[in-house]
Amino acid sequence: MSFLQSIQDTAFATSIRESTLLYPILLSTHLTALGLFGATVALTDLRILGFAMKNRPMADVHNQFRPFKHFGLTIVVLCGALLATSKINLYWPNPYFKMKMSLLLCVLIHALVFRKSVYKNLAEFDRTGVVPGNAKAAAIISMLLWIGLVTCGRWIGYWEAPTLE
Amino acid sequence: MQQFAGYDPANNPLNTNEWAFPVCEVFHILGFILLIGSISIVDFRMLGLGISKQTPAQLVKDTAPWTLVGLVMILITGPLIFSSGPSTYVYCAGLLPDCYNRAFYYKILMLMLAIIYNWTIHRKVAMTPNSPWAALVGGVSLLMWAFTIFAGIFIAFV
Repeated sequence: MSFLQSIQDTAFATSIRESTLLYPILLSTHLTALGLFGATVALTDLRILGFAMKNRPMADVHNQFRPFKHFGLTIVVLCGALLATSKINLYWPNPYFKMKMSLLLCVLIHALVFRKSVYKNLAEFDRTGVVPGNAKAAAIISMLLWIGLVTCGRWIGYWEAPTLE
Repeated sequence: MQQFAGYDPANNPLNTNEWAFPVCEVFHILGFILLIGSISIVDFRMLGLGISKQTPAQLVKDTAPWTLVGLVMILITGPLIFSSGPSTYVYCAGLLPDCYNRAFYYKILMLMLAIIYNWTIHRKVAMTPNSPWAALVGGVSLLMWAFTIFAGIFIAFV
C-alpha cells in the first residue's frame, strides 16, 4: 500500500481529496464529458447496426463524430484519473474499480482489433450496402463494454471495504 | 415528514435489495447520455464546430428518436430514484428553495427549463436554415444541460 499511499499523498491528490468543491466538480465534468462521448459512441454503433441515422453514410457518421469522441474521452479519462488518484487507497482494493479498469483495457483491445477490419472500411460498407457480421459484432461489443464501464463506475460507490478486526 | 405521510420508503423495492437502486442510476446515466449527448452534438453543429456535412436541421431529425429514448429513460428512472428516499431531497411542503436540497431544487428547475427550451426555441432555431441565432441558442443549450448534470451530481455533496 505504500506506493498507492505515496500517489495519494502527492500535493495535487491531497488537494482534490480535501477540497469540498474540487471533487464534485471533477465528477460532474467526468459525467458531462461522458454525455458527449457516450452519445457519439452510441450513435456510431447504432448506425452500424442500422438503428440510427440510417440515411447518412456510416463513414460520415463515424468521421464527423470522431473529434467529439476523442475530445469527450480525453476529458472523461483526465477527470477520472484525477478522481481515482485522489482516493487511490480506497479505490484500488475495490473489485468494481479493477473491473472498470479491465473493461477500459478491453476497450483499447477492441479498438486495436476492429480498427482496420471495421472502422477503416465503413466507406466500403456504404458502397456495397452490406454490413458484415464482424462490423455488427464490433458495434455490439463496443456498446456492451461501455454499458459495463458505466455500471462498474456506479457500483464502485456501493462496495464496502471489509473492516479489519 | 408530513407531506409523505403514509409512505414508508423502507418498503420500496429499491431499498429492499442491493442492486435495484444502482441499476436505476445506471439507466439514469445511460438515459442522459442519449438525451444530453445527442442534443449537444446538435449544439456544437449550431456553434459551427464540426459535422459540417449536415445542417443542424438534418442532425436534429437524425438524432431525435434517440434523444426521445433518453428523455423517457430519465423521466422513468429519476422519479424512481427520488422515491427511494424523498426526505433526502425535500424537507418541507412548499415551492421555496429552503424546503429542498439546494442542488436538487436547481437541478429540477433547470431540467424543466432545458426540456421546454429544447423542444421549443432550440428545435425551431435548429430547423431554420442559416438562422442568425443558431450559435447563441446552441451555446445556451450546452450551458443549460451541463448545469443540470452538475447540479445533479452536487445533490450528494451539499
